[in-house]
Amino acid sequence: MTGPEPPDLLVEDLVLTGAGGRRLLEIPRLAVPAGGTLALQGPSGAGKSSLLHVLAGLIRPDRGRVAWGGTDLAALSDERRTRFRGDRIGLVFQDFLLFEELGSLDNAALAESFAPRAARATIRAGAKGWLGRLGLGADPERPVASRSGGERQRVAVARALARGAPVLLADEPTASLDRANADRLAEDLVRLGAGGGRTLVVATHDPALARRMGRVLTLAGGRVVEDTDA
Amino acid sequence: MPDLWAGLPPVAQDVAVAALLALPGLLVGFAVLRGFAPWRLVRAMLWRFRWANLVFVLLIAVSVAVGVGLTAQERGLRQGSARAAERFDLVLGAPGSELTLTLAAVFLQPTDVPLLTGAQYAEVAADPDVALATPIAFGDSFEGAPVIGTTAPFVEHLAGRLAEGRLFATPSEAVAGAFAPVGPGDRFSPAHGQGEGAGEHAHHGSDYAVVGRMRPTGSPWDRAILVPVEGVWRVHGLADGHAPEAHDDQDHAHDDESTRIGPPFDPAHFPGTPAILVRADEVWANYALRSRYTRADMMAVFPGTVLAQLHGLLRDVREAMSLLAVVTQGLVAVAVLAGLVLLARLLARSLALLRAIGAPRRFVLAVVWSYSAALILTGAALGLLLGWFAAAALSRIITQRTEVLVTAGLGWGEIQQVCVFASLALALALVPAALAGLRSPLRDLRS
Repeated sequence: MTGPEPPDLLVEDLVLTGAGGRRLLEIPRLAVPAGGTLALQGPSGAGKSSLLHVLAGLIRPDRGRVAWGGTDLAALSDERRTRFRGDRIGLVFQDFLLFEELGSLDNAALAESFAPRAARATIRAGAKGWLGRLGLGADPERPVASRSGGERQRVAVARALARGAPVLLADEPTASLDRANADRLAEDLVRLGAGGGRTLVVATHDPALARRMGRVLTLAGGRVVEDTDA
Repeated sequence: MPDLWAGLPPVAQDVAVAALLALPGLLVGFAVLRGFAPWRLVRAMLWRFRWANLVFVLLIAVSVAVGVGLTAQERGLRQGSARAAERFDLVLGAPGSELTLTLAAVFLQPTDVPLLTGAQYAEVAADPDVALATPIAFGDSFEGAPVIGTTAPFVEHLAGRLAEGRLFATPSEAVAGAFAPVGPGDRFSPAHGQGEGAGEHAHHGSDYAVVGRMRPTGSPWDRAILVPVEGVWRVHGLADGHAPEAHDDQDHAHDDESTRIGPPFDPAHFPGTPAILVRADEVWANYALRSRYTRADMMAVFPGTVLAQLHGLLRDVREAMSLLAVVTQGLVAVAVLAGLVLLARLLARSLALLRAIGAPRRFVLAVVWSYSAALILTGAALGLLLGWFAAAALSRIITQRTEVLVTAGLGWGEIQQVCVFASLALALALVPAALAGLRSPLRDLRS
């Protein structure tokens, strides 16, 4: 998969406030070089998911810069952020968010339904390739409703990578899985997700997954309280 | 431009109008869907809520069917009754209600109407503009089928060549209507009266032999049994329209059992007729005859004109009901779209996911709009069929009850009507779609 060049991440003076003016995030500076792997840890409500959503451009911060390469997401309109996300960022969620009625390949290739006509075949081919690398290539048409949790999350990973995104963001990707499947997915995320120079950021409670990342950031009350390199 | 339009064949005009009415809906669809291929996704979502969708589709279908059925039915009734009256150019009767006379003569509804005299008949029959003047006599029935006294030439005028057998030639022969309860070879004795109470006073010993059967005319005459008018008069102990000496020459042995039938009738022995059915060879002559015989002792009625008044009334009633149907359609469309707003909430996480993986707002709008469009178009198509079936079923019942052949088919009017509904509903479907597109993806992702 040859996508756009992996961008460096630089967050500066980030402030995000929630309802009632409560500070959800306050991060003076965070730099992750292209191809880095980062785990966001911390108790519930510490701001892990919020930070991940800000990095994905799903939320616009109240202040500060969120720059992927030369692009400051905080300065872009909603539609521009959406387009940037579609081109550069793959997202994986705790509860997969698949279309249960569709087959595995149709789920993984979901983006083709709104992509330009010329890009549709490439997306489908990418989805098929990733399903194969994730061990689901044998029956790509199988409805996801009949798949196990671990397999579903791998379909979701294939969906996140089908367009060759250079950044993969995962929000509690192993939280809905049993230990064996969680380990298998963590392995896949590190080996495949972070392969090829891709930047990988996971928000997780799972120490086993966090341990596999090159750097672990511990958040509490929206601030970074610990920053350790593996 | 107007010339070009008028020069088009009617079908092309109908198609063009339907296309024009469908155009707003198509344009909305084109604008919304351009560059997207949401159908796989929409199919999955439709399947997810299949039972709710079924209810939506049926609601739309029934409301569309009511509108379609009403117009199809009204047109069927109009065409059927007009066809039934087609062969009755001009009907003369004693002054009174034109409607009653038309119902009695054309639709064979039993009524008490005053009679015209032999002298009046003779005057009409002798009129040089009159090609055919037929007295009729009713009041008897057999197994519910009216027994109508008339003349052989009128039978031919009414239904053309017989389907089988021959015309009656003596006062005790009969020709059955296409769907009468008797057929050639049968014999029957008519009962006095028609409808309720008929048969209490059977005319014993006055048998008719059926010798022929008419082709279908699509009118109540199809169920009737037609006999020589002399037969009806004689059964009731009246003179039979011919002077006794006129047939004494021919038949000395049975001077009360004349075999002579048909015109000319002798005014002195003419018992009277409730109506004279008149045919002229020229169309203009009908108008001349109508004004000539519209006078103090007689009235002349074009059944077609009387029906046209009835049709006008029918159309007013139908238009009032159609207005209700349109209001219903509007309410159903609004209710369904309101339901879709709720349904879009249930789909919110899926829609938010689409935004999360990079789909623009317009794609979310396109997905929800396509979802609505699928329901609207399926409902509208189903409603068109349902309305057609309902009108066809109702027409069959009306045909059975009245013997007026009513056939209700789908016309361009109904198709255009459905095009208007679909177009408006497709445009209205932008509302729930836009609402879904405007939601913040993040809030819905978290739930």
